[in-house]
Amino acid sequence: MTTTQTRPDQREIGDRVESVLPVLRDHARQVDADASFPTAPLKALRDSGLMGLLVPVAHGGLGGGLDDLVRVAAELSGECLSTGMIWAMHCQQVAALVGHGSPELQADLLPRLAAGEVYVASVTSEKVKGGHLLSAHAPLRREDGKVHLDRDAPIVTGGSDADGFLITMKDSESAQPAEVSLVYADREQLTVRHAEGFSWDPMGMRGTHSGPLHLSGTVAESAIVGGAGGFRDVALRTFVPVGHIAWASCWLGAARGALRAVLELVRSPAGRKQFNLESDLLRARLARVRLDLDTTAALIAQVVRDTSLAPDPEAPDVQLRLNGLKVHAAERSFAVVDTLVEVAGLRHGYLRDAPLPLERLFRDLRSSSLNYANDRLLGANGALVLVDRGVGLAL
Amino acid sequence: MKGLKAMEDNEFDSVLRRHLKNLPEGAELPQDAPLKKFGLDSMQAVELLFDLEDELGVVLPDEMMTGDTFATAESLRKAVGTAVDEPAVGTS
Repeated sequence: MTTTQTRPDQREIGDRVESVLPVLRDHARQVDADASFPTAPLKALRDSGLMGLLVPVAHGGLGGGLDDLVRVAAELSGECLSTGMIWAMHCQQVAALVGHGSPELQADLLPRLAAGEVYVASVTSEKVKGGHLLSAHAPLRREDGKVHLDRDAPIVTGGSDADGFLITMKDSESAQPAEVSLVYADREQLTVRHAEGFSWDPMGMRGTHSGPLHLSGTVAESAIVGGAGGFRDVALRTFVPVGHIAWASCWLGAARGALRAVLELVRSPAGRKQFNLESDLLRARLARVRLDLDTTAALIAQVVRDTSLAPDPEAPDVQLRLNGLKVHAAERSFAVVDTLVEVAGLRHGYLRDAPLPLERLFRDLRSSSLNYANDRLLGANGALVLVDRGVGLAL
Repeated sequence: MKGLKAMEDNEFDSVLRRHLKNLPEGAELPQDAPLKKFGLDSMQAVELLFDLEDELGVVLPDEMMTGDTFATAESLRKAVGTAVDEPAVGTS
């Protein structure tokens, strides 16, 4: 993934973001209460052009880069983390399609993405392997120049609303599980069966409506993104880095939204009567919170540079920062909201119907360490630390 | 109305003087003299801001937290006067 194209007009992107934020704000509470997919906010995003943020201008998109993705994801998530995450994960799929899709697929699909007609969901998990991204078991079958897929998907975020799917498949019956192909399919090309009796009632991120699907259908060979068996390269160059950057930006944006809300409260005339701004404890807590946001933002910026410029995406120091970003952003954004609950107290920080959304964000961000588990990434990073004896920091 | 009322003006003066540690008690404070000269550094400016907000019941927008706003008694009085004209609405 490169960011060499001309940078889009920041004000224009800012205006588009401003146009959707009120819709996210108005629906955030209800989406959380009902654990429903944020259909109206997604409609606003489709209309805004932002679903095509990363689509090149030549295909009708906004031609944005990773730094644009970071800023927009953070702003959206400051209003509704579920919606921000749904949008950011869509952008992760778009990045893979833009970076690795065949010319035929791009010519057909990218203009529709840019027009907001296609919301793409990601199908990478399988029952047998859990969340291991780089292996697949359900095989593609080729016949008459066409590619058939048939697969269970234990959990698909936004699966009920998606217009298209990017699906990992074992490249063929005889291929190894590590020979993975990434296949794009429009919803119309598939038979999509929703599992019976599945209920979605999680602690947080309740708008990221997820459930099991069964997908089957037939696509052209040109729908394989990154070529047959080419998912590993797509993952290392685009899918994983953009995913970690997107998640981290969403979590950071949500935590920043929490701090903004708390600062509005404590600086307001009413808040000034309740909060002692001269308290050393309060100031130390706010300083820590702000430092967590700044270090996370700095690490995001570095990983964006690594992703755009590093010649070898598998270099240990690049991988360490990429994995570390996901872990750090997850830990610190949750810690930020936890501390702000402490600062705001029972009335503002703990009540579900308080004007501040701290209670919701606390539940939402509790998922961040589990969403591609921090434990697993730390295990990988621990091994990488041992083979980077020079300790290659980004200095 | 524009700016501070007479009573607010007195409060403004008394709050400001509390934060000017190098201004002797009873000494005149020239309206155009740099407040830095009287010991107002950037950290002190934050404390002064909070005191002003508390005493006058106003909220200064973050954009006003600049060196220019806190340069002189005159510039600060003007900024606080604007905030009095357009009181910010609290969240709570």
